[in-house]
Order: sequence, then structure tokens, then C-alpha cells
Amino acid sequence: MSIVDDRPAAADQPEEPTNRPEVTYRLREWLARPYVRPILTMFVLFCLLVIPIAWLVVFFMNMSGAPASDIMSEIEQTILVFTIVSAPLMSITLTILLYSLFGWGRVTGDEPPMQESPAIRSNAIGSYLWIGATSVLAAFLVIWGLLALANITASSYGSIPANQQPNSTRPIDVNVTGQQWVWTFEYPDQGKITSDVLVVPIDTPIYFNVTSVDVIHSFWVVELGVKIDANPGAITNTGVTPNKLGNFNIRCAELCGLHHAYMETQIQVVTQEQFDSWVREMGGKRTV
Amino acid sequence: MSDLTTKSELPVPRSATTGEPVITTARRNRLGIWLCIVSDAAGTVALLVAYAYLWSLNVNNAWAPPKDTWADPLPFWLIWAGAVVAALAMWWAVAGIRTGRTGQFITGSVLASVVALVTFIGQIVQLSTFPFDITDGAYASTTFWLCIATALHLSVVGFLTSAMVGRFRAGRVTREDHSHARLVAMWMTWVCVAVFLGAFFATTMNTSPNTNSPTFGTFQE
Amino acid sequence: MTAVIHEQQAVPQPKQHGKPGGFLRHTNIVTGVVLGLVLALVTYAIGGLLVPWGTENSNFLQVGESALVAATYTAWVIGFMIGIGAFAGPIRWWLGHDLTHADAEYLAGKGQGRGKYWKYTTDHKVVGIQYLVMGLFLLGFGGLLAMWIRTELGVTWAEVFDPNFYNSIIGTHGIVMVIAMIIIAAGPLGNFIMPLMIGARDMAFPRLNALSFWLLFAAVPPLVSNLLLGGMRDGWTAYQPLGTQAPVGMIGYQVCIITFAFSTGIAGVNLFTTIVTMRARGMTWNRVPVFVIGILAAAIMGLVWFPMYQYSQVMALSDFAFESAFFIPQNGGSVWLYENLFWLLGHPEVYVIVIPVTAALMEVMVVFLRKPLFSYKIAVAGFAGVVGISSLVWVHHMYMTGWSPAANYPFMLSTELISIPFGFLVLVMLGTIWRGKVWTRLPMMCVYALLWNKIVGGITGVYLSDVPVDQYMHGGMFVVAHFHFMLMGAGLFGAMGAIAYWFPKMTGRMLNERIGSIGLWLSFFAFQLTFGSMFVAGLQGQPRRVLQFDDAFNVSNWLSTIGAYLIGVGMMIFLYAIITSWRSNVIAPSNPWGAKTLEWQTATPVPLNNFPVLPVVTSDPYDYGVPDPYLAIEKKLSDENQDTKVGAR
Repeated sequence: MSIVDDRPAAADQPEEPTNRPEVTYRLREWLARPYVRPILTMFVLFCLLVIPIAWLVVFFMNMSGAPASDIMSEIEQTILVFTIVSAPLMSITLTILLYSLFGWGRVTGDEPPMQESPAIRSNAIGSYLWIGATSVLAAFLVIWGLLALANITASSYGSIPANQQPNSTRPIDVNVTGQQWVWTFEYPDQGKITSDVLVVPIDTPIYFNVTSVDVIHSFWVVELGVKIDANPGAITNTGVTPNKLGNFNIRCAELCGLHHAYMETQIQVVTQEQFDSWVREMGGKRTV
Repeated sequence: MSDLTTKSELPVPRSATTGEPVITTARRNRLGIWLCIVSDAAGTVALLVAYAYLWSLNVNNAWAPPKDTWADPLPFWLIWAGAVVAALAMWWAVAGIRTGRTGQFITGSVLASVVALVTFIGQIVQLSTFPFDITDGAYASTTFWLCIATALHLSVVGFLTSAMVGRFRAGRVTREDHSHARLVAMWMTWVCVAVFLGAFFATTMNTSPNTNSPTFGTFQE
Repeated sequence: MTAVIHEQQAVPQPKQHGKPGGFLRHTNIVTGVVLGLVLALVTYAIGGLLVPWGTENSNFLQVGESALVAATYTAWVIGFMIGIGAFAGPIRWWLGHDLTHADAEYLAGKGQGRGKYWKYTTDHKVVGIQYLVMGLFLLGFGGLLAMWIRTELGVTWAEVFDPNFYNSIIGTHGIVMVIAMIIIAAGPLGNFIMPLMIGARDMAFPRLNALSFWLLFAAVPPLVSNLLLGGMRDGWTAYQPLGTQAPVGMIGYQVCIITFAFSTGIAGVNLFTTIVTMRARGMTWNRVPVFVIGILAAAIMGLVWFPMYQYSQVMALSDFAFESAFFIPQNGGSVWLYENLFWLLGHPEVYVIVIPVTAALMEVMVVFLRKPLFSYKIAVAGFAGVVGISSLVWVHHMYMTGWSPAANYPFMLSTELISIPFGFLVLVMLGTIWRGKVWTRLPMMCVYALLWNKIVGGITGVYLSDVPVDQYMHGGMFVVAHFHFMLMGAGLFGAMGAIAYWFPKMTGRMLNERIGSIGLWLSFFAFQLTFGSMFVAGLQGQPRRVLQFDDAFNVSNWLSTIGAYLIGVGMMIFLYAIITSWRSNVIAPSNPWGAKTLEWQTATPVPLNNFPVLPVVTSDPYDYGVPDPYLAIEKKLSDENQDTKVGAR
């Protein structure tokens, strides 16, 4: 990316086009400058740092549990891609900052230095390269992000209407109510049973209708990548299909008063049989 | 020093405090007033957005005041008419001073300040005779604050127009230097726009278009 | 009667009413505070008689008490402004008693010694110093609260503070720091330096300049005192309807914001008008120093967007004290309305902080690299792009609110697009560093600190602009770390550099750079530790604004707390350097850095009228450097190439 990034201000020179050296001449001359190769080496080395950093990012995200839904996998993948794509930008900044401290000369002392630096007022090639590269990176991230968003929206709300889905994966509606400082889960299709722990069967789409009875809360199922605000006076919707058995965290992600920190509960992803018997235990109807 | 004194014989009227020509300071003041109007417009937009947004949402079916007692539209338009008359009077006064007709200026600015005062009182009367209280739902709250904003605007107008009368008597408004009168008229024109927008919203957007908002705290639409 | 102004013209004067200065001869900060307190107490006493104690509404809130506290705070602000003399100007104008030149000179502080810093003084240099001291005070207070927050989070085995107090200090820390960062660059430097930089004698509206500072001064006590009245409890965003549950301290926050918004709006009008109409002769738009462009950008954003925030607080105060229904869903209000109004300012405000600082450091780096600014046009395009797009991105704070899932797509697009003009600014700074010989002084070191923090903050910002990523990060510690990298890492470290650079001009003394550098670098590396660990906590899934959390987050929080204490130590060292240098370091020459912008061409200390003769500008101020030696080589290569071509022919 930065091979011909930083040329002297040739564009300022009012030369005739025919007098310009061939591109290879210019490139060779540029590469022969004493600062270019160290900088390119540093740039590549710093770019390579992205490998351990990306590994660490995934490691930290998975510390409390690996993704338990397609949504969370998509989110984790997106974070990984963003980390990798931003590496060149990070690297070029770090390279220039560090190299400039020793590479092009340094002046100390109290008086303004007599020795002046080269008067580079602009550089067309360098500017176009930078603007082009950042625009391409931004465009790539925007497109990736839009597609990822479309994907997770599809898996949140489901692309097939509920009544047309096969019985085995018939989605389950859950009404989530936030109040200071507990979550309540109501299963309208299972005989309106309520619970303060969210119990759901694996591989079944779960649709959440979320509201609040006092202030704004945010319904966050951490390892499933679900987050939506619980707003008083409004109903918000989201959904997820859990694909891993186990117990996961539900937290509140919006400051909701004194005991916001303690507004936690659990989601238990169980098999369909366990879910049915849990529904019976709670006194509800069996899933249709 | 004598050289310098002769320079002062130049016919250009100058600002007493900075020595710059008054044309320069007038241009500067005009930009300042424009920016004040932009800033005030942003605040007015915030109130109008609040009105329109709450009207369109009708949260908890609580937009309308109890028993649909909407405010009477007539006072809104009377107040707007008062603001317009005051602004026109001020522009007429400015036109007078530009051509040196000082009588027209004093008549216009006295008229403008009297009308502004009457309109301000009218606004206070309207605020105290609404058929609802500020606590009676979102329509009541937003309408109250639109009218309070109008009252604040009109009180500023009253201060400015009455100042024109006083400043004229102190000899500070002349044919050569009447820029402050123009600025006052500019501000009053903007106030007319702001009052019009408030009146338009409060009188035309009453019944909310959203009739099936969910009941608070439940999942019933 | 006439007066000779700037030794040039004898100008006819209006009638002199009394001694020069008139009423303002008798007012200063003491009369302001006394009258403010008296009026507040009187209001409180009379209101207490009218509204019996213990009046409760249906939600068991003390309605009467809220209205009473609101009235008391308002009385403080009005009383203080009367006492300081803010209303003297309008009344004189109303009476037609316009200022004479002698009045104006008295108001500008002529012949008043240090007393002028405690009065309603209109001189832009005095206002700049007042803003600087106020900014340092607020930073110190906010920093103290930050230490308390980190103490709570570092002590993972117990609650140090009760939840009400903890929630109050996170909110107060947030808003104090936001106000401090808004004023710390645009206040001292925009007021003191900018008029000098464009070759003006003062700001466009000197009395409004004093007004904007003293409104800020009046706004601070209500904010600070909220901690004594039960706290504000809701984070700096003060989301409704949670705000209506708070103790009456909440009103302190609301009155502060309403007053501060007036202050910012007035300052914005003043800065904008000054820059547009008062530039020296010959200073065309392509010769304006880039810092002035940065201030202009900040002034535009403050002007347009601050009123939104102000009105959101007017409505919230109305809900709190008078039970209106803007944000109370039971009565037809909407929580999304608040969020929209709040973030309409809330996001541009970040750029109000970062842009002046970035622009200031662009001025710094050309001087310490002895190089022209790399591509002035790209810099201006970057500022314009950021200002333009910043008004179209606020919904990215609301991705997860469910307000409008469909709006997430366009706002994700606009938010990621803002990284392109933002990248322009990075390009300009890196291009200026490129091949420069660095004069390693403290202000230049801050450029390095700013650039590193800004690139980290910028890239993590791109993460958060992405809706799927935000679905995991929103409301978590990752967000907190990101915006601290932007506001503190770029904003505060940049402001430290800018203040260090202009310190000789503003105070007349050199800054002790040995001690200052120790403070700077200790804070910088401690900052990386603090907020690097906070990124980790965010990735692990720690929500923000919690006072207890899972054991899984313990290690990163411990590291973060250690880092925060070290930042505190570093900042104290830097502050020590500023205070001791200001008092007793060596006297600064008028242009210690050999810089070419106009503010360095006048004497230090700056005379009352800034310039004996107003300067005329003939070029842009970036005329540093020698011709590029590589151009000669390239020319030679080019000629040889031409020769071979000729030979081949």
C-alpha cells in the first residue's frame, strides 16, 4: 500500500510531461532513498502484529464462553475482519511516528533550529494513495457490515413467517419485561407461564417481544449476541436461534438505576424434551 | 497630532468604541444576529420535533388531553397576527429613518412596542386559560412549552422595540447610523416565523394518526 | 467630545455618564456570588412558604421540592449575573447610554492590575486566562471523581460507595469532563490566541465574550452541588425517565446544561463572527491558519446543535419539576424523543472537542518540524467533511434502542463514511511529520501522543459504528475505552500540547518542560494501560456503569485501576509544572519557537490593543523549510532520461 506512498513534491514542479522520468526510474530512485526500506520493513513487521492481536481479541471474547448462536458467530467474525482490515492503517501510523523520532534527524536545545526540513507542501500521489486506500477500506467495511447486519437481522426476526414453518422448528414467542431490577419472561403460547430464568429449547427460533414497566433497560444475552433495549411505553422485537446447550448470561446493558449492576439472570438452553417437561412442571401447556 | 485630527474630518461615521466605520460594525452585528437566529431556530426546531414526534407516536394513547379538550385555535393566530403587525411597524419605522423621516421612525417603533406588549399579554392570558393543565398528557405539555417559547420571544421583542424608542430619544438612532433598528426588525421577522410554526403545529396537528399504540407495560397493541 | 483611538482617528464620543466603566466599576466576582446566594436564599425561603413541604404526587415524588430547587438554582444564576454586572450593558443600550472609548477601555481592564481577572472584563486575553483556569479546575474535579470510580471498580470484593453515590459520581464525572474538554481548547486558545492569530484587536463582541465566560462560571456551582443534594444518579446522558426518579440533585445538572448551552451558543456566535469579519488585511481564506479553521468548525457545530441539548434539558426539567409529559411514557411521552434530542448534540460535541485540538497541534507540528503544513486543502476538506457528516450520524448511539431498526443501515453508512474525512486529518499530520527533523520539545511530544491515541480511538470507533459489532459492545466497557481514547487520549493530550505551545504567549513565562515531560509520558503510558485493559474488559463482556461484576473481569479492572492512579500522578506532575512555571519560571521572549503565525509577532505580554499597527498578511503562515534535495536528484534523473531518449533517436 505504501510502496509509492510518499514521493517528494514532484507534482509541484511545473515540468513538461515529456521531461518526467519513467515510472520505474522514479520508483527505483525512491526505493534507493535511505529511509524507504527501513520504513517498509517496519510497516510489514507491524502489520504482522495483527496476528497475535486478532488471536487475543477472539481469546478475550470467548473467555466467558464460545458463541452459542449464529448471530454471535457472525459478530465475532465481523470483529475479527475489522481487526485485520484496520492493521495497515495502524501499522503505517505507528511506523511513521516511531521512525520520525530517529530516522530523519532530531534537534534538541532551547533555540529554534537553524536546520530546516524539506518544504513538502503537497504530494499528489501520496494523497491519492491514502485517500484511495482509506476509502477502499471503509467501503469494504461498510459493505461487510451491511451484509452482516442483513444476516443477523434475518436470523433475529426470521425470514419465514411463523405460521409457515415446519412444526419441529416452530418459533417460540417470549415476552420479556424489564423492571428495576429483574427480568421476567412470559411464554404466551405455553399457557402464559412466567419465569425469572429464560429456558429455551436448542435449535428453535426464539422471538422476543421486549418492554419495560419503569425505565429503559437493555436485554443482553451475552453469548448469544442478542441485545435490544426494553423501553417503557414501547415494544421492541428481536430473536435468536440458540445452537449450543448450556447456561449463559443475561445482563442489563443500559444504566437503569441503583442496582443496575445486579440485574442479571441466566438463559438455559436445553433439549426439546427437557423444555417440554419444564413447561409441564411450570403448569403450562405442552408446545404444539 | 494635528495631522491625525484632520483625518477625523472624514465624513465616514465611526464607532465610538473601536474607531471603525459604522458600516463595518453594522455588517459584523448583522452576521451576529443571523447566527443568533440560527441558534434560536435550532431550539425552536427541537420543540417542534418534540411536538410532531409525540403526536405521531401517541405513546400509551396519552397524547390527547382528557376528553379531547384541544386548545382553541383562534388565540394562536391572533398572537401571530400581533407579532406580524409589530414586525411590519418596525420595518416601516426603519424605512422612515433611512430617508430621514424621524417622525415615521418614532411612530413605527412606538406602535411596534405597544403591539408587542399587547401580544405578550395576550400570550400570558392564553397560557392561563387553556382548558387543560401542563400535566394532562403530551399534547398539553408540548403546547404549553410552545406558548412559553412564544412568550419569551415576545418579551425579547418588547425589550428591543421599546429600546428603539429610548435610543431614538437619546439621539442614538440617526439617518447615518440606524443599523440597530434594522437588526431589531430582522429579529422580529424571525419571531414571526417561529410563532407561525408553533401556531401551525398546535392548531393543525391535534388528533394523533396512531390509534393502536401499546398499553404501557403490557404486550397488547 | 472626541477620543483618539489606536493613535489614528479622533472619533466623536457619546456623552460620558459618570466615571468610565459606570456601574461595572462596583461589580466583581464577590458582588456576583453574594447577590447570587442572597437571591437564591430569598427564593428558597419565599418558595418554601408558598409550597408546603412534603407535597407528593402520584409517584410519591416531592413535587413542590423539585420546583423549589429549580427556582433556587435559577435565582442563583440570575442573581450572579446581576451581581457581576452582566445586565449593565443591555440596560445602558436600552437607555441609549452607549459606551464611550474610555468606558470600553475600562471594561477591557485597562489599568486594573490583577483585579481584572475577577471582573466582567471584556478583553479577550483576560477571558482566555479565565477559561484556562476554569478548565483546569474542572479537569481536576472530574479527575478526582475518576479516581473514586476506579477505586470502586478496583475493589472487586466490596462496595466502596453506595449505589446512589456511585451512580452520581459516574454521571458527574462524565458531564464535568465533557464540559471541561469543550472549553479547554476552544476557551483559552479560541479566545486568547485566535484573535491574535488573525490579527484582530479583540473579539467581534467583547461584552458577549465576558458574558459567555461568566455564564459558564454560574453554571458550575449547580453541577458540583448536585452531589450534596442526593446526586444525579443517571450517568452523563441522564436518560429519561430514569432522571425523574433521581433526587433533586438532577436539577443541578439540568440548570447547569441550560446555562452552559447559552454560554456555548454565545461563544459560538462570537467566535464565528470574529473569524469571518475581523481577519487582518490580506488574510484571505487560503491564508487563514488551520487552527482558526478548526475553531470555526467547532463554533458552527456548537451553534447549531447545542440548542437541541438545551431544549432536551428544558423539557426534562419541566418533567421533573412540573410533571409535564415529554419523556414520561405513562402520560404520552417518549424515551426515544429524549435519546434523539440528546444525541443530536451528543455526537457533534465529540468533534467540538477533537477538532480544535487537532487543528492546534497542526500549528504546533509545523513549528517543531520546520516544515510547511502538508496539504492545507486536504486539512480544510477534512474539517468540512467531519462537520458536515457529524450532523448525520447521531443514531449510531441508538442502534440497540429499537427505535428504528431500518435506520441502522443508513446511519451505519454515514458513520463509517466519517472515517474518510477523519483520515484526511491523519494524512495531513503524518504527511507533515514525513521527512521532518523533529525538534523534540514538549508540545511536539504531545503530537505523538495525540496521533497514536487518535488512531486507536478512530479504529475502535469504526468497530462500534458497525451494527453487528455494536450489538455485542453497546453499553459495555469497550465503548468507554473507545471514547476515552478519543476525548482524553486525543482531546486532553492534544490540549496539553496546545497549552504548552502557547504557554509562553499566554503567561509570559516558559513552561518547565523537564517536569512537564515526566508528567506527560507517565500519564501517556498509564493511559494505555488503563484503557487497554478496559478494551479487554469490554471484549469479555463487562457492561459499563456497574459497580460490581463477575470475577472474570477482575484482572482487567485491577490493571485499569492501577493505570488510572498513575494517570492521576502524571497529571498532578503536569499541573505542578504549569503552576510553578506560571509563578516563577524564566520570562519568555516574544517568539520563543521562531513561529510565523501572527500571535508570535507581537510583544509578550500582549499589549491591550494586541498590535501597535494592525498587520497586513502577504502569505500563509507555513513558509518553513528548504527546497527538497530529492527534487534536484529527480531533475537530474529526468534530464539523463531525456538524454538517453535523444541518443536513441
